Amino acid sequence: MQFIKKTNIDFLAKRKIALIISGFLILAGFVTMIAKGGPDYSIDFLGGTEIHVRFNSEIKINKIRDALNQVGYGTAEIKNFGNERDVLIRVEKQQESSEVSDAILSTLTTEFPQNTPTLLSVDAVGPKIGSELRTQSILAVFFALLLILIYVWLRFEFVFGIGAIVALFHDVLFTLGVFSVLGLEISLSVLAAFFTIVGYSLNDTIVVFDRIRENLKSRRRDDFFTVINVSINQSLSRTVITSLTTFVVVLVLYTNGGEVLHNFSFALLVGVVVGTYSSVFIATPVVAEWGYRQAQAAAKSARKSRK
Amino acid sequence: MRRNNLFRSIIVGIVIIWSLAQLYPTMKVSQLQKEAKTYTEQLQALSNLDADEIQAGLNAGDLPARLEDAIQDDTKLTEAYALAEKAALLHDGIVKLENDAIKQGLDLLGGTYLVYEVNLPQLVLNVAKKRDSRLDSLLAKIELESGASESDYFNTFSQAFNDAGIRMSLYFGQRIQKDEEIVDKLKEQAADAVNRTLEVLRNRVDQFGVSEPSITKQGDNRIIIELAGIKDVQRAKEIIGKTALLEFKLVKDPDVNMAILQDIDKALKKKLSRSDAVAELTATNDSTATRPSKRKDTEVSVESLFGEGTTIGDESEGDSTILVDEQLAKDSPFLALLTSFPGSRNSIGLPAKNLQAVKRIVNSPEVLKIIPANAQVHFSNEPQVFEEQEYYEMYFLKKEAEITGKYLEEADVSIASGAQSFNQGQPQVNLKFNSEGARIFAVATGANVNKQLAIVLDGKVASAPNISGKIPGGSAQIEGSFTMEEAKDLAIVLRAGALPAPIHVIEERTVGPSLGQDSVNAGQLSLGIGIALVILFMIVYYKLSGLIADVALILNLVLILAALAFFHATLTLPGIAGIILTMGMAVDANVLIFERIREELATGKTVRAAIDAGYDRAFWTIFDANITTFLTALVLYQFGTGPIRGFAVTLSIGILASMFTAIVVTHLIYDTINGKRSLSKLSI
Repeated sequence: MQFIKKTNIDFLAKRKIALIISGFLILAGFVTMIAKGGPDYSIDFLGGTEIHVRFNSEIKINKIRDALNQVGYGTAEIKNFGNERDVLIRVEKQQESSEVSDAILSTLTTEFPQNTPTLLSVDAVGPKIGSELRTQSILAVFFALLLILIYVWLRFEFVFGIGAIVALFHDVLFTLGVFSVLGLEISLSVLAAFFTIVGYSLNDTIVVFDRIRENLKSRRRDDFFTVINVSINQSLSRTVITSLTTFVVVLVLYTNGGEVLHNFSFALLVGVVVGTYSSVFIATPVVAEWGYRQAQAAAKSARKSRK
Repeated sequence: MRRNNLFRSIIVGIVIIWSLAQLYPTMKVSQLQKEAKTYTEQLQALSNLDADEIQAGLNAGDLPARLEDAIQDDTKLTEAYALAEKAALLHDGIVKLENDAIKQGLDLLGGTYLVYEVNLPQLVLNVAKKRDSRLDSLLAKIELESGASESDYFNTFSQAFNDAGIRMSLYFGQRIQKDEEIVDKLKEQAADAVNRTLEVLRNRVDQFGVSEPSITKQGDNRIIIELAGIKDVQRAKEIIGKTALLEFKLVKDPDVNMAILQDIDKALKKKLSRSDAVAELTATNDSTATRPSKRKDTEVSVESLFGEGTTIGDESEGDSTILVDEQLAKDSPFLALLTSFPGSRNSIGLPAKNLQAVKRIVNSPEVLKIIPANAQVHFSNEPQVFEEQEYYEMYFLKKEAEITGKYLEEADVSIASGAQSFNQGQPQVNLKFNSEGARIFAVATGANVNKQLAIVLDGKVASAPNISGKIPGGSAQIEGSFTMEEAKDLAIVLRAGALPAPIHVIEERTVGPSLGQDSVNAGQLSLGIGIALVILFMIVYYKLSGLIADVALILNLVLILAALAFFHATLTLPGIAGIILTMGMAVDANVLIFERIREELATGKTVRAAIDAGYDRAFWTIFDANITTFLTALVLYQFGTGPIRGFAVTLSIGILASMFTAIVVTHLIYDTINGKRSLSKLSI
């Protein structure tokens, strides 16, 4: 069986269209983010308390709010998740965050004796921890990108490193944009998903780069753009199949992994698609453009020196 | 190309055997746990103990004793003993193997992850020579400006003292000491306090009966506690977080009390006459008399007495509405907040509503000046009900404690007896001092017969019994209106010792047991479906070669799990997600190789040559692609905590394992098939 027979598509010719599409989508994400004043951070980064409980039977959100009003948490965000019995209660920044969860849980237990809730989970993050996590995350992203740049630079050429990094930025910004448009939260686990997207997208990009490197040696007579196009076409079958298997398992994770992994696997789902797209339409064109200009500049100076 | 098939077969064989050996404890434990569950169920049917109690009995080794208490029927008891013996044997077996089995994370088992921070400002305040409003405001400023770590705190500390032009020796250390020396000493004291805190918490947590509690230090002044499978997180937090500073302090004589009270009153009156608060006091006349008294009460805001800025202490959002007698309020504004209280000689009563107001007044700089240097104000820990009203008691205590919990040897719970006891039939905590403590206690009680000795726990008076005579044996009781469980918890924290400084939770992650089980199920289901789909796809797309890749995939899974067991890594839900993701990505190496082989075959090469070329050409691509993913996983591991780390671990192990299985194992299989006689056609 073979999905993709021998192809000969001029991918580079479509780089301008790709650039416009990507630019537009990322811009849309940015606009919504600016409109909201930043991404929707979860309490991991903002600080606060999030409590998940499961009631024995369906319960009205208003009743919970009335009960919590008595202990001063009536302004908390209260909503169902998954079904009518599962309730999420979120309180913004508090100094003594652990006391918030204690107070809310004991209130719910005493106020609803007929329908006592079971505790699913509590996440309480002090404001100090939240800001620390933010700084750490930024540092981690920075170091990850730096390491990748250095590795790709060492193994390939600097141009390839730039292509890879541009594609990674593209992927993360795109996914961030999707999250912003859909109003999904950026939590620690979503951040972990971003790292995975970076790893996956890079994996895909490297495979194409590798082929370009190999073909540059073996097809010295062809011009740079042709070599790149041939390389993408040659690795296309592999790109599609690997993306397909990865997409399928992530889809399984998204549909069966439960509430805890929902946003995490959604980010991966977006990431697999965009990572595959970017290795063909972003990373490689960057290398083509930059590499072409470099080659021309080199040829020019070579001509000059000959004269 | 002649590769040494035998050599490679031996290596692969060793890896497989090693993996299975690593996984044996995990499989055995889960089997034993199933058996143990049936014993627990049978024991539950015989006794009325619940599963937790049976588990606690097995952990502590006192299950037979518990059963004896729970079962009356003799034949049933013999039956239960026999079961308990078998269960204990099984339990021993599980404990022995558990260490080598794959550990499950808190998000799968249920449990709690708590990050505590030792309160450095409080610690610094504790060692200060004297305390005044200038020091208070300076420390508050430092706390606000400093970052997370201890070095941050002390840097800001030095800076702030420097900026304010205050010499540290005014408040800390000896007068001749330089600032640097004092800071070094404080740092030393802080580090010491954190280590002592760690010890004390370890002792406390050991009492929970949680298997393998984990307590680790993070940075300079943070402590992480992980309790897997704990049911009552709220109670655990109460026990862990209690400072449990036990002090025995002498109560000041009544005449001293009265003198101080009157002085405070005068000071307040002076202050009020300067402001227009008096007018306000009388103006807001509200006749809702809630006290069974003929006097007219006024509801008044404390802010009018002290203004909003003077809030001191932890209870910032206090009750600002207080009861005052209108006439008395004019003459003696402080005494008006208090009330005479029957029952105790030396304590001063106050309605529960007034507690915040009174606390604010006695902590204000003006009043702190009035209270004698060797005296301190303390309040009772719980209100008492008298004529349907709740009252607290206020005490003036001698500053230096006669004896502290440091000398405590034993603390346990009993039911109070004796006709003279106020709390007859109530639980009480019995204290026993060690020999040195007993000597100190005997001297202190002997010298102060007929005085009141307050038992102060974390700055609050638990009780203040009269010393009727010298107590030579070194034993004492704390009475109070606690429930049996509260008394037991108090005994636990007293036994474990006091914390050198207060601690508070700055991060909590709790997962209930039901969500944990949900996650395990969801993870297993996803893993099963995910692998099945990938395996099926590979066979359909690459036929026999796909099957070979599938063998590698299964081996990859086994290897990942074995590596988890070997490194004592923890499997979390994101960790399972990492495995699933690896399964999807692991076939990539084989896809790369197979696509190459197809290409080579298309150029007309022989099967053997095509296979070898495919592997050779794909190798560096696979290597480069995987190393970069591995690098990002490493960064993720470095920065992540808990579940995220679990994800980074399985992802990186998965990458390494997949490179081995996809390259070495599949190539070996090809070579074996292709070994004797060369294939003319390859199923790919």
